[in-house]
Amino acid sequence: MSVSRFIAGAVVVLLGFLGPGVLGATTNAVGKPLPADAAPPEQQVITGLTQPATTLDFFVSVYKRPQNVDGNSWSNILSTPLVRLDKNFNLAPAAAKSWDASKDGLTWVFHLDKSLMWSDGTPLTADDFVSTFRLGADPKQAWDFAWFFGDIKGWNDAVKGTIPVDQIGVRRGSDPYTLLVTTTVPAPYLPGMMLYSPPLQAKALAASGPFYNTDPATSVSSGPYILQEWTKDQRIVLVANPKYSGVRPFIQKVVLKFADLKTEFAAYQANEVDVAANFSPADLQVIEGDAALRAQYHQGFGDFRTYYVGFDTMHPPFDNLKLRQAFSHAVDRAALIKNVIKQQGRAAYGFLMPGFPGSQDEALRSIQSYDPVLAKKLLAEAGFPGGKGLPKLELWLRNERALGQAVGNAIGAMLKQNLGVEVEVSNRETKLFMDELNGHRLQFYIVSYGMDFLDPANMLGIWLSGGRHAWKSDKFDTLVKTASSMVGNPQRRLAMFHEAEQVLVSDVGFIPIYFVTPGFMWKPYLRGEALSADKIGVTAWHWPGWDGLSTLHQSVYVTKDVSKFRR
Amino acid sequence: MVAVVTVSILAFLLMHAVPGGPFDETRSPLPPAAKANILRKYGLDQPLWVQYGRYVWQALHGDFGIPYQSPTETVVALLARVWPVTLLLGAVVVGISFTLGLGLGILAAMRHNTWLDNLLTSLATLGMTVPNFVIAIWLIYILSIRAHWLPTGGWGEARLLIMPAVAYSLQPLAVVARYTRVAVLEAMSGDYVRTALAKGLSPAQVVVRHVLRNALIPIVTLLGPMIPDLFTGSIFIEFTFRIPGLGKFFVTSIFQRDYPMIMATVLLVAVLWSLTYLASDVLYVLIDPRVRLGARGR
Repeated sequence: MSVSRFIAGAVVVLLGFLGPGVLGATTNAVGKPLPADAAPPEQQVITGLTQPATTLDFFVSVYKRPQNVDGNSWSNILSTPLVRLDKNFNLAPAAAKSWDASKDGLTWVFHLDKSLMWSDGTPLTADDFVSTFRLGADPKQAWDFAWFFGDIKGWNDAVKGTIPVDQIGVRRGSDPYTLLVTTTVPAPYLPGMMLYSPPLQAKALAASGPFYNTDPATSVSSGPYILQEWTKDQRIVLVANPKYSGVRPFIQKVVLKFADLKTEFAAYQANEVDVAANFSPADLQVIEGDAALRAQYHQGFGDFRTYYVGFDTMHPPFDNLKLRQAFSHAVDRAALIKNVIKQQGRAAYGFLMPGFPGSQDEALRSIQSYDPVLAKKLLAEAGFPGGKGLPKLELWLRNERALGQAVGNAIGAMLKQNLGVEVEVSNRETKLFMDELNGHRLQFYIVSYGMDFLDPANMLGIWLSGGRHAWKSDKFDTLVKTASSMVGNPQRRLAMFHEAEQVLVSDVGFIPIYFVTPGFMWKPYLRGEALSADKIGVTAWHWPGWDGLSTLHQSVYVTKDVSKFRR
Repeated sequence: MVAVVTVSILAFLLMHAVPGGPFDETRSPLPPAAKANILRKYGLDQPLWVQYGRYVWQALHGDFGIPYQSPTETVVALLARVWPVTLLLGAVVVGISFTLGLGLGILAAMRHNTWLDNLLTSLATLGMTVPNFVIAIWLIYILSIRAHWLPTGGWGEARLLIMPAVAYSLQPLAVVARYTRVAVLEAMSGDYVRTALAKGLSPAQVVVRHVLRNALIPIVTLLGPMIPDLFTGSIFIEFTFRIPGLGKFFVTSIFQRDYPMIMATVLLVAVLWSLTYLASDVLYVLIDPRVRLGARGR
């Protein structure tokens, strides 16, 4: 027996005599010491419901990942992206320890954390990121989010198939732990976009193809969890990754049950899940009437979603600015919030929700303020006094549930009451709606948009001409395009975005209605820094929720109170 | 066979006539190249008749394609996984509703115009009119949320079958009971019943030996078609109780423009219906010796 072994043995025996007080806190299955008020390790489990999914990986399919509400995905947890978001929406280093841009602003250099490994023992390197981005651009893969990385050099050509995928601007640098990303225009928002960089393993991709993470036998993880079970249509079970060198989670097991999300609240009430985020109006009434449930209900930002009325401004009658202005002054947002939307949203006067970078909602408030007298006057000036001469309008909704339909009907009623305009509200199936919207054939509609990444370039970018909206302003296009790629002058950049949003609201490219403030419930036995109030006082589970792209999973644990709930 | 082919052509044309496809444009229009890639991947860039021809050719070889909703398996594998779940639940429901329904229907008929008949008839009316989702929600509220006796849903344990089976059975049970009662009553007014009773047989013997056999014909006609419905699953019951069965695919396939699964579910239903009608015809012959295929009169 070697001396070191003898000493180690002696220390263990000695500590055993002195009792667990000296050994310190209990640790969970991956050796993470649990807080003093934590339940025993075997109870450090979190269970959630999600819509059925076929992958956990962003680069395999964005829309086939689990999700239980806009803003809480349960995905990307088998991977470590270059950066993560903390609860204040700051970028936190993850696979990249640091990053910097070249002088011309066209190339970003990411310096990878050399300690990160895949669960099979292979190091996580730039090559994994390179293979992952090549997969995303591969025409044969036909990735459903391929539009997103169009700013990366060569990306669009690779998607078209005119250049091979190995020529895109995502390359290994001078060593395996340096990743270079080159863009076609300076992209100051690129590190923010790299939230969406959870890598797949180059080796596993080559051996088993993109779906390797749907089977524990082929699954390999560089993230905080590994896949233990995937029973199709029923559940996924994830357990903490013992090889993970990042911040290890307290929760050692995650169970995701696939279900129709209408059943979520009942499951929450029956203590079968620990969190819930989907509530019908009836559920909300139950919550409002029950003090205990009310205390578990937290209102948040979700994915900074804005609901708005849109028009076809290219054709009559809505090519008439006065008509659009008349409509914009006929919508009483305050009444809508008070009577219909209640705690599920707040009045919107611009496109960027307060809390989102660049929001100036207060400053825009007066432009489309509620003023029925002015609205009537403008309608007459537009050539439609009292609504005469206007064709019967059909207000399309995109597959809305109860709340969205109520909002649509309320807006129809306001237009009738304040302007005498007849509006028929028509709730349509999503694909049909989007086909018409994207084809610029929708005359009059209500729809919503939630952000992809936290920069005004994203939210305002969807209003650029050639996008989904039949609205065009050269001034807006110039402002947004210039500001988006502006490096080195953040104040000037922000001012340009502000001006652009001002143009959009003044020209009534749309009528902002409300910002969605989704409710999130979690049981009182869940605790952790991520669940405390953020810098503006919001406690709700922050976007993207329980996800490898967020740091939320790092601090949450189950307290001893759990024994009062789970049976 | 002709019916199945016609149905397949109609379904194929209808599903392709609706806008959208297996791509997601809920955020923005996809760049043309990205959309073209997706269409090419699924073979949707070909003319419709080529696509249909290819589908039929492959289907004849047992290849019904890859479901867009679950690209890690084939349509056949998906059906082999989810249909047994629906079949099991369907079998339990058929079992409950036909045994109890027949029993209660006969009982009501034999106690015609008594309090028992009135009670059973009222209950049956209630069972037929209260939709199963109302029953399902009440069951969950009482048994899961309040009493914590049963989980709100799930699959894989016998107790998880209780609530869905009860919620799902009540309506068919009520239908079976009502039709049975009427059919038995009508059969009992026949002359042969009076004769049998006059021979000295007890009412119970008369019902079992003579009445039931004659009452079964209308029952088979009316109730046979309930079976394909029960064996293809209730979307609502499966959603509500988180049952990983076939039912939900009738809806999700259409909303997601999952063409291979739409075709598969449509064909499955078409085949089941054809088989049911065939089975009903065979049963008539077995039940009633007067029905003879190709008989030239007596």
